[in-house]
Amino acid sequence: MNLIPLFIALPLGAAFLLPILRYRNFDKQKTGQANPAVILGKWSKRTPDIVANLINLTLLVLSLMVINRGMLVYKMGGWEPFKGIPIGIYLVLDGLSVLMLLIINSIGFLAALYSVNYMEKYTDKTRYYTLFLLLIAGMNGVVLSGDMFNLFVFLEVAAIASYALVAFGTEAEELEAAFKYQVMGTVASGFILLGIALLYSFSGTLNMADIARIINQQGIQGTVLFVGALFIMGFGLKAAIMPFHAWLPDAHPSAPAPVSAMLSGVLIKAIGVYALVRILFNVLGLGETKSILYILMVLGIISMVAGALLALGQRDFKRLLAYSSISQIGYIVFAFGLGTPLGFLGGLFHLLNHATFKSLLFLNSGAIVYATENRDLEKMGGLLERMPVTGTTATIASMSIAGVPPLSGFWSKLIIIMAAIQAEQFIFALIAVLISIITLAYYLKVQRLAFFGKLGQAWKKTKEVPGLMCASMIILSLLCLGLGILLLPGIKSMILDPAVEVLKNGAQYANLILGE
Amino acid sequence: MNILLYPIILPFIIGIFCLLTPKKVRETLVIIGSLLTFGLTVWFFFGKIAPDRLPTTGYFRFDSLSSFVLLAIGLFGFLITLYSLKYMAGKNRLREYYTYLLWTIGASSGVVLANNLILLLVFWGFLGLTLYLLIGIGGQRALPAAKKAFIIVGGSDALMLLGIILIWLKAGPETSIFSLPMDGISIPLVGGVAIAAYLCLAIASFAKAGAMPFHTWIPDMAETAPLSVTAFLPASLDKLLGIYLLARISLNLFVMNQAMGLVLLIVGAVTIIAAVMMALVQHDLKRLLGYHAVSQVGYMVLGIGTGNPIGIAGGLFHMLNNVIYKQGLFLAGGAVEKRVGTSDLDKLGGLARVMPITFVTFLIAALSISGIPPFNGFVSKWMIYQGVIEVGAGQGLGARLWIIWLIAAMFGSALTLASFMKLIYAIFLGQRAKELARKRVKEVSWTMWLPMGILAGLCVIFGVFAYRTALKIFILPVVPGVSFLGVWSPGLATLLIIIGLAIGAIIYWLGNLRKSLREDASYVGGEVLPAEVRVTGVDFYNTIKDFALFKVIYKKAEEKLFDIYDLGRNFVFIFTKGLQRIHTGVLTTYFSWILIGLVVLLFLLMR
Repeated sequence: MNLIPLFIALPLGAAFLLPILRYRNFDKQKTGQANPAVILGKWSKRTPDIVANLINLTLLVLSLMVINRGMLVYKMGGWEPFKGIPIGIYLVLDGLSVLMLLIINSIGFLAALYSVNYMEKYTDKTRYYTLFLLLIAGMNGVVLSGDMFNLFVFLEVAAIASYALVAFGTEAEELEAAFKYQVMGTVASGFILLGIALLYSFSGTLNMADIARIINQQGIQGTVLFVGALFIMGFGLKAAIMPFHAWLPDAHPSAPAPVSAMLSGVLIKAIGVYALVRILFNVLGLGETKSILYILMVLGIISMVAGALLALGQRDFKRLLAYSSISQIGYIVFAFGLGTPLGFLGGLFHLLNHATFKSLLFLNSGAIVYATENRDLEKMGGLLERMPVTGTTATIASMSIAGVPPLSGFWSKLIIIMAAIQAEQFIFALIAVLISIITLAYYLKVQRLAFFGKLGQAWKKTKEVPGLMCASMIILSLLCLGLGILLLPGIKSMILDPAVEVLKNGAQYANLILGE
Repeated sequence: MNILLYPIILPFIIGIFCLLTPKKVRETLVIIGSLLTFGLTVWFFFGKIAPDRLPTTGYFRFDSLSSFVLLAIGLFGFLITLYSLKYMAGKNRLREYYTYLLWTIGASSGVVLANNLILLLVFWGFLGLTLYLLIGIGGQRALPAAKKAFIIVGGSDALMLLGIILIWLKAGPETSIFSLPMDGISIPLVGGVAIAAYLCLAIASFAKAGAMPFHTWIPDMAETAPLSVTAFLPASLDKLLGIYLLARISLNLFVMNQAMGLVLLIVGAVTIIAAVMMALVQHDLKRLLGYHAVSQVGYMVLGIGTGNPIGIAGGLFHMLNNVIYKQGLFLAGGAVEKRVGTSDLDKLGGLARVMPITFVTFLIAALSISGIPPFNGFVSKWMIYQGVIEVGAGQGLGARLWIIWLIAAMFGSALTLASFMKLIYAIFLGQRAKELARKRVKEVSWTMWLPMGILAGLCVIFGVFAYRTALKIFILPVVPGVSFLGVWSPGLATLLIIIGLAIGAIIYWLGNLRKSLREDASYVGGEVLPAEVRVTGVDFYNTIKDFALFKVIYKKAEEKLFDIYDLGRNFVFIFTKGLQRIHTGVLTTYFSWILIGLVVLLFLLMR
């Protein structure tokens, strides 16, 4: 059986199923009668939790099942190509998509698990999970889509779900952040759509492989570069690359913690970095174009430096994490900009690692908010004593992101800097190294202010967060400890190498899919 | 399993068990763990492992340098663990303390046994983390110091990463960095890449060992962290490892040249003098010792910087000696602090009578660090002086300035002696401070004085029998071709010193000296000195601060103008402030960035 459509169909279906269950629940509350679905009714308070978590667990299992399956192409509706020209909608699963699916669905599962307790304080879990599942469906769609327009549609599904999730708390600050995010996000989407339209007029097709083939035949022309610039701006905004980053420090901290974890850990990578490199390298075939690569490198360095400097000046825990995301995305984009296999490896590995430790840190910040109702670092202190799980996992995540061996972040940073040196970008390599020192500095600041030191009077009665939240943080921290094993030869050839292979092949993508 | 893994894995596993077991079991476990590790290192060193049991993979290696440093790690790890049992008793977070202690021993063993640069870096970086966590156990006051230490040490680790990758680029980018054995690398210091690589690694070793200008974390943490941690890491293991790395890169990985030797000579000389000048004016026992921990590194760097066998051997021997007497000093200082409850020199005094063992060990260690014959510090300094003189016979700028290095080294010794006179007087001699006078102080328990005694004994043995013990067993196998310039026969000199002392004692006992000696209160201008204005030993040295030139420098130093950490932070924050100012939160501004960005992109791609 072909598993590929399930990645989109399952979360999308569940997202629409949940509100239906909710109406049944409303009936009962209004009339107070035992209605026919009494057993369901008894469960109904937990129904959204259970449904959403089961769906996410299934998705995680599915994405583990597709590891190392080689390339799979699913033609929607069984529409075969006509005279070699693809006419149906394609879903394509290759090494890169597998890696992204693993990231999206594992972090998605852990964030949903965390939400069970965390979202108690918000009133409407059904709407929350509906949006959450839409977000997952959109991201899975983006990484699987083999068609430009479908990629755009799924991108918008994910983006709009994320606008709503940022505003979920409906306080003034959250609404403002969501408004800014939406306005800027829409501008980006507009430019992306313009780019797609130009590509369509250029090549007469929307199928990504077909576009790649046509560009291959005709050579890289002005239109392609123009579209490339539009995409760098559009997807760059979704990925929060400087100078297109300004929405992120407002949006990510405002969302509920599990959503922040999804946004910072996964969303900016799935609809930002992934879409950018997939289209630039595989579809537009710009992987060898020096100017594009140089632009990516420079943008990466700018984000890396400015994000880290801004994070250093932050007092608000979640905003600090948000700026840190910009900085880390800078590392990833810089690595891709090197354009060498080692650079791709470093970028993809760092992308994976960043997903784990940044989500974990956002979940930690959520745990602190949950326990103390406070985000200001200067007012915290000594929380390690009262919240050992949160404190320890946060230490592991901070050390990992700061690149302390033997945690996962060290290995990906090692490979990125190796790639930079190999490409003889000595100055950039030095900057990347210096910024990792600053990263260490601001995470040590978090440690010092929040977890160590004297326990503040106000937090004497603080308790550790409930079990499911702890479980999700512990699993993520184990990932931070152990993901370095992905570099062991046997495991590397299963997960990372196929993904690197896809980017290395560049425009060969077309031939692999169209089978020529 | 590869037997070289045992001293790495054993402490790690026992450390994990420590986290899980109750107090009584834990303490036994820790002692057994560190004793076993020590035993292993002794067996490795003296047991002469059969070659077929040595690893065949390229990841670990075992040569005369690593085996000797490993033995030292095992010994000092065990002594500190023993000492901690009583010293740390009753403090918070002991569970973590012992675990981190054992992990530190394991990771340090890993550093010296690693034969792959990435493996070395992993252990090395992990040590930064345990250092940070161990300092943090000192509580609220130690936190800023912990952060500073980790930023400097961890930051230098990041540079080390860069250096290692540069080595890889130079030594063979076609092989994987993970399978590049260290013993196959030998890079001449020619060209930017090689020099940058050497400097990056040298900075890492300077930061670890505490050479200037990367030393500032040591005095800060010495003041606030638990004293056993200071005695263990910056005073012992970090010295061993930092100098180990410096020796490795200077002797094996790179082929040194004169220019780089000159850099090391300058760093060494500046470190010796500047740190000892800072030590002279300190008021706190622990901080003062912290500055000496920095100053002594200068000798080792100087020794290695000479580049001739006698100097290098002297540097390595000084590394060993320094760890012995410095740990002795810290442990004795800790004993005082434990019994008295303060380390402020103004509040101590007159403890020699009540803590005789502590006094004697402290005295021996102090004489040793000051380079007084016949103790071990003298022998290694003497070798370094010879190395420096031999530099003078060579060519180049380093050789022409040889007299400067020699003066720095000798003058540094004199100043060290001066500051220890102050310390010994302020702690053990003179009158007791007023607060202390009423307190009953007694000697510490055996688990604390035994390590101190062992260290003091080593100071004597390695000094008096230097050629027959330490040099022959540890140092000369590492550095071949050492030839001594002058003749120094420690046995004879000791004999003469002992005879001199004996004659003095005879005169003292037999003659009238004893009768005519009287003890009395302190006088100033014919008036008995009241307790409030007692001479503490600190005041006398304040005059140094008042010299016109020094006054300015000390003032700037206290404002942290020479502190690389504060300089870096201020520099970075200029940019942070600027960036914060332009992030106004106004949507239209952000829009203009997006549009400008797009226009620039289009311009760059379409022109």
